[in-house]
Amino acid sequence: MKLHPALKRWESVLALLLIAEILLFGAINPVFLQPSMLLYATSDFIHVGITALALTLVIITGGIDLSLGSVMGLSAITLGILWVGGVDIWVAAVAALAVGTLGGVFNAVAIHLSKVNPLVITLGTGFLFGGAALVLSGLAGATGYEGISNFDPAFVNLANLEVLGLPLPFALFLALTVGFMALLHRTRFGRYVYLIGQNPRAAAYAGTPVFRTLVVAYALTSLMAALSGLILASYFGSARSDFGTTALMPAITAVVLGGTSIYGGSGTILGTALAALLVGYLQTGLQLVGVSSHVSSALSGGLLVIVVALRSLSEMGRVWFQHRRVLRNVAAE
Amino acid sequence: MIIRFLQRHREASVALIIVFLFAVLGLVDHSYLSLDTVLLVYGNSLILFVLAIGATMVMATHGLDVSVGSIMGLAAVVAGLLMNAGWGIPASVGVALLVGLLCGLFNGALVSLLKVSAIVATLGTLGLYRGFVHLLSGGSWIEGLPENFKALTKAGSAGLSPVAWLVLVLLIVAHLGLRYTAFGRSMFAVGDNREGARLIGIRVNEVQIVAYGLNGLLAALAGVIFASQIGFIPNTAGTGMEMRAIASSVLGGVSLLGGTGTVLGAALGAYFMTSIDSILVLLRLEAYWNDIIAGAILLVVLITDGKIREAVDRLLRYQKYRKFIDPQAAAQHGDAAKAATRPLKTALETSEARK
Repeated sequence: MKLHPALKRWESVLALLLIAEILLFGAINPVFLQPSMLLYATSDFIHVGITALALTLVIITGGIDLSLGSVMGLSAITLGILWVGGVDIWVAAVAALAVGTLGGVFNAVAIHLSKVNPLVITLGTGFLFGGAALVLSGLAGATGYEGISNFDPAFVNLANLEVLGLPLPFALFLALTVGFMALLHRTRFGRYVYLIGQNPRAAAYAGTPVFRTLVVAYALTSLMAALSGLILASYFGSARSDFGTTALMPAITAVVLGGTSIYGGSGTILGTALAALLVGYLQTGLQLVGVSSHVSSALSGGLLVIVVALRSLSEMGRVWFQHRRVLRNVAAE
Repeated sequence: MIIRFLQRHREASVALIIVFLFAVLGLVDHSYLSLDTVLLVYGNSLILFVLAIGATMVMATHGLDVSVGSIMGLAAVVAGLLMNAGWGIPASVGVALLVGLLCGLFNGALVSLLKVSAIVATLGTLGLYRGFVHLLSGGSWIEGLPENFKALTKAGSAGLSPVAWLVLVLLIVAHLGLRYTAFGRSMFAVGDNREGARLIGIRVNEVQIVAYGLNGLLAALAGVIFASQIGFIPNTAGTGMEMRAIASSVLGGVSLLGGTGTVLGAALGAYFMTSIDSILVLLRLEAYWNDIIAGAILLVVLITDGKIREAVDRLLRYQKYRKFIDPQAAAQHGDAAKAATRPLKTALETSEARK
C-alpha cells in the first residue's frame, strides 16, 4: 500500500479527525452543521488557538511559557485601568499589547541571565504577572476578582464584527496562522528556532543569534497572549485579572496535540492550528450534545493522554520492528 | 565561604528569607513575634507541606506532576461523598487515599512505561481527573461533613491539631527516608542519570512509578486535609495548587532536572509561600499583594542561584586548567609541594588517588 507522502503527515490525521468530529456531532445534532454555528462557536475558544500559535515557536526552541495565562489577565486589566483613567480605548489597547510584549522580553532575559530551566522561570514570572494584575485591579478598586466593565461600545462590538463573512477573532486567527506559518517555515528566523531546539550548543557555535531569537519567540508569545486578553475583554465586555488562568493548559495541549515535541526541535504551525480547532470543537460539540462543560474538559484531557500515548507506542513499535529486521538480516547472513 | 555554604545547603537561603520575613513583621509589631504566629503559619501550610513532599520525590526522578491539584479535588470529593453516605471516617479517608494512589500510579505508568513526557502526561490527567470530580459531585458543592472529621484539623495538644502532628511525622520520615534509605537514594539516582541507574541494578521503571504513586497518595492526603480544614468541598478544590507545590520545592532547592534536593528544603519553601499569606494579613496589607511578592522572591532566588552556580563552575574550571594558562603559578605550586617535607612517593600516591 503506497500512501501519498502528504497523507502520512500528522497534520492530515488531525484534519481527518477534525472532519470526522464535526460530522459525528452533526449526525447527533444537525444544528452543529450550520455554518453560522460552526463559525461563531469559535469565539469561545479561539483565544486559546491564537496564543498556542506563538507558543509553538517557544516550545520548538525547547522552552515553555507558563506565564501566558497571567499575561492575558495583565493585558486585560491594563486596558481596563487605562480606560477607567480616561485614556482613549485604542491607545489603552496598544499600551496593553506593549505591556504584554515587555513581559515576554522579561521572560527571555531572565532565562538567558540565569540559565535556569524556562519552566521554572516562567512559573515564577507567572506568579509575578498574575500578581501584578491582581494588584492593579485591587488598586483600581475593582476588588479581587471583580471586573472592570463599561468599555467604549466600539471596542465591545469588535468581537462581533464580521470580516469577509467570518467573525473578527476567527478571521484574525486564520490570518495569524498564515503569518506564523510564513515566519516559522519560510524565514531565517524560523530556521534558527528549529536549530536552537535541535541543539542549542551547536546553534551557538554555528553563530546563531540564540539570545535574540529567544527574545523574539517569547515576546511574540506574550504579545499573542496579550492580544487574546483583549479579545476576551471585548467578547465579554469586561476585564478581569483571572482571564487567562484556564487558557494555559488548553494552549499547551493544542501545541502538543498538534505534533510539536515538548523537548523541542520539531513541530508545525498548521498542526497547532488544527489541534486548537479539534479541541475547541470537541468542547463545543459535547456541550451541544448536552455534556457539561467540565466533563468535556475531562474528555479533552483524556484525548490528549490517548493521542500522546498512541504516538509514543507507535514510535516504540517502529523501533522494535526496525531492530527485529536488522537482527533477522544478521541471522540470515 | 558564605556563598559556598549556601551553595551546599540550599535550604539555608530559604530559611534566611523566612527569618527576614518574620523580622519585618517584628519591626512592625512586636506582639506578633511569638510561637503562636509560627504555629499559625505551620497550620496554614499543612496542605502545601504534603504536596511539596510528593513534588520533591517526583522531581528527584527528573519528573513533574501538574495533576496533583486535580487528584486533591478528586480525593476530597470521594471522601466527602462516602462520609455523607454514612461511611465511617477511616474507611472514607482510606478509599480516598487509595483513589489518589491509583491516580498517581496511572501517571507513573504513562511516564515510565509509555515514555510520554512527564509534563504532557500529567497535563492530560489534570483535565481527566478534574472531569471525574465534576462527574462524581454532579457539579454541586459537598457540604455537611461530620463534625468529627472537621475536628481533625482543630488545634489540640500543644497548639497543634492531630493532622498537624501527622504531617510533622510525615515530614521527618520523608526527609530521612529520601536521604538515608536505599530506595530514597535510588530515586535521586534515576533522576540524575537514568541509564547509569539502570546499569547499577536499580529497577528504573518501578522507582519512577512508585514515586508518582506516592505523590498521588500524598496529594489525596492533602485533599482530605483541605476538606477537613474548609468543612465543605467546592468543585474547584485544589486548582492551582500544583504550581504552588512546584514553586515551593524549587524555592527549597529541588532541581527540575532531577537528582538533587531535600524534603527539608521543599518544606521550608512551602512554609515561606504560606508565611507571605499570613504575614500580609497580620501587616494589614491587602491579600492581593501575595502573588506578586511570591513571584518576585522566587525569581530573585532562582536567578541569584543560577548566577552563583555559574560562578562556582567557572572557578572550578579555572582551578583545573590553571597550570596551562599561567605556568609560573603552577611552578610555584610545584615548589611549594617539594618544600613540604613529605617524601616524593607519598605525594605521587596522593596525586594518583586524586585522579
